[in-house]
Amino acid sequence: MSSTTAPSGLARARKGLAPGGPGGGSRNRKDLNRKDLNRKSKLSAQTSRTFFWLLLPSVILLVLIHGYPLFHAGIQATHDGNLIETGNFVGVENFANVLSSPAFWKAAQFTLWFTIVGVFGSWLVGLGLALLLRTKIPAGGTFKVLLLLPWVVPIVVSSTAWNWLVATPDSLIPSIFRNLGLGTPLFLADPTLAAVTVMIFKVWVSFPFMMMMISAALASVDTTVYEAASMDGASRWQQFTQITLPLIARSTYISWILMTIFCVNDFPTIYLLTGGGPVDATTSLVVLAYRTVFQDFATGPGVAIAFLMTMTLVVVSVILYRQIRKSSVE
Amino acid sequence: MNVQPAANRSFSRRGFLGLTAAAASVPLLAACGGGSATQGGGGAGGTIKFWDMPWAAPAYNDAAKKLAEGFSGANSKASYQIIQWNNFYQTFSSAIASKSGPAVSTGGGFQAFQFEQQGQIAYADKVIEELKKNGQFDDFLPGVLDPFKTDKGYVAVPWQLDMRPLWYRKSLFEKAGVEVPTDWATLLEAGKKLKSIGAFGFATGSGAGNNIGNHTMILMMINNGGGVFTKDGQLDVMNDRNVEAIEFMLELVSNGIIDPAAVSYTTDNLNAQWKDGKAAFGPYVLGVPERVGDTSGDIVVASPIAGPHGDKTALVFPNNIMMYTNTPSQEASEAFLVHYMGQIKELWRQKLMNALPVFKSITELPEFTSDPNNVKIVKEYVPIAKTFASQGTALSADLAALDGGQALNQFTQTILTGRTDAKSALQAFESGLKSVLKK
Repeated sequence: MSSTTAPSGLARARKGLAPGGPGGGSRNRKDLNRKDLNRKSKLSAQTSRTFFWLLLPSVILLVLIHGYPLFHAGIQATHDGNLIETGNFVGVENFANVLSSPAFWKAAQFTLWFTIVGVFGSWLVGLGLALLLRTKIPAGGTFKVLLLLPWVVPIVVSSTAWNWLVATPDSLIPSIFRNLGLGTPLFLADPTLAAVTVMIFKVWVSFPFMMMMISAALASVDTTVYEAASMDGASRWQQFTQITLPLIARSTYISWILMTIFCVNDFPTIYLLTGGGPVDATTSLVVLAYRTVFQDFATGPGVAIAFLMTMTLVVVSVILYRQIRKSSVE
Repeated sequence: MNVQPAANRSFSRRGFLGLTAAAASVPLLAACGGGSATQGGGGAGGTIKFWDMPWAAPAYNDAAKKLAEGFSGANSKASYQIIQWNNFYQTFSSAIASKSGPAVSTGGGFQAFQFEQQGQIAYADKVIEELKKNGQFDDFLPGVLDPFKTDKGYVAVPWQLDMRPLWYRKSLFEKAGVEVPTDWATLLEAGKKLKSIGAFGFATGSGAGNNIGNHTMILMMINNGGGVFTKDGQLDVMNDRNVEAIEFMLELVSNGIIDPAAVSYTTDNLNAQWKDGKAAFGPYVLGVPERVGDTSGDIVVASPIAGPHGDKTALVFPNNIMMYTNTPSQEASEAFLVHYMGQIKELWRQKLMNALPVFKSITELPEFTSDPNNVKIVKEYVPIAKTFASQGTALSADLAALDGGQALNQFTQTILTGRTDAKSALQAFESGLKSVLKK
């Protein structure tokens, strides 16, 4: 039996020593620890094995769903085949040809503008409406639902509606311009106007998404912060720039990342309204990739364009993701 | 207390994992298996898989299904499947690559030649022999079979003609006090007078999904004795006749005879222009009155017009039925095709088709001749019709890249915007085509 005093017992306990003293007690403790460790490591190995086998089907499925198409696309991008045959290995020739093609750079330029206008245009409209809907207005809920419609309505329907609004000189909007003495703009036939029209259409389709994201972020902001700022004499603009924007920064960056991906990969908005024309004025990279593969039957260059798009998107997403982390730290 | 022994628990877990792994491997093994006999082109038990496109209203596919499923010959039967036009080439390609494609199908106008290049097409010579025996061979309209004959055999069998006739709205010509054009010079003059009443003398469009503009360009080239290919199938874009034709098109654009917004017109927009009395004259498909919803008799087919050198040509796309090498029985595929060709008359009898038939006997059906536009097209357009092969007669896989490719569409849109000259536009077109055709 041990004869240790209470205080020394506590000290031992704090040190994790057994009551039998450092000699035999230590040996016993080591034995116990070894047994414990063995048991734990056995359990841990068993658990790992279980996890491994439980995860394996999902991993196989993921590899099949993502890995195989990516691998196959890699093969296509380095061959000169078509939709049936793989063709001959050409190395990076498809990438070189694509990068030296004026059509690629024209499409890249349009994609850039389309994305910039799409992201920031929809964000600005969404932010404005989210702030407006934050105030108490009659039938605010109804307005919210109505404002969601551009996002909810299938793009096939909305593109048909927009085509009806602007396509011919006798369509509604050109007629309004004519009656106002502003001439008859050909919104889809003039290359510059077509590009602008497609971008406005994209903003119109996308702003409800931004509005929802920002509304959700604004809902989590404590209103007492504004009360305190008011008491400190901050103006409404100062409150907006110094409180609102920083507090919604995280969700803003997330929405920018998502919208950037939506814009770069957006096929139906452009293709249904203009088909990429006139004279390639609204051909984005994804439209160019589609046309190269399915209209020219050139899978190699088409897939190479898709790879280049993906790489660019990854870089942009990483940059924006860092901004999110930065805003979280701050 | 009901406590399972550890060994039992362990066994149970392993058993569960084993079962999971086995279940997960089923689709994997199935995927690796590829085209087994039962998944093959024709399916098991001698069933001929027939894939058909939505060529007209849904009633067409219902009727075609009955015709196909009525087949029973060579110890076989047939199944019918509709394939949508969206990405149809990919649908066929992936199915054929995985050996799960059809044994017989309709499809794109040049699809048979594309798959022939890949060795996937079964030649139809024996079918043609059978058609000779049953008298249908002699029933073909003149020249419709020739484009499908190659050195190796018949690549496919035509079953309908997709013509691009010229249509006009009578009331607009009466209002403008001008005769319907008979050649390019009168087309230009009529266009100017029609413009004064707010109508367009040459209606076309090349917006999203609308290929009428592309067809218009090729039509005008071959109508002037030119075209994109020589008689022996060589690329020949920069010939003088093409330059002249495109200069004329640019003249129509600069004079406002072609709608300045036509470059963005979808088929719906073009239909609306015809319906609203804005389009006075222009190439389009069969059945424009029904298509645009004006069957008052005001929209009718015009006679083909002559080019400045007296050439008079129409543009036609002979749609065809092809057989594939992946079939449960080649004999059954051939028997099915002979059966189906013998039945297609029913589709015109029921007025389900929006295309010309390939058989003379169908053009004589009262249901077909009741439309004077049909009669006029058969009488005046069919004898002078040429395909995309231009001066040549045989079709080829290259024509698919021309028809649906970016080069022609970009060329058409460049012309319709009027911001170019003929030679520059043709040079860019030729360069675009070369880059695609070399593949």
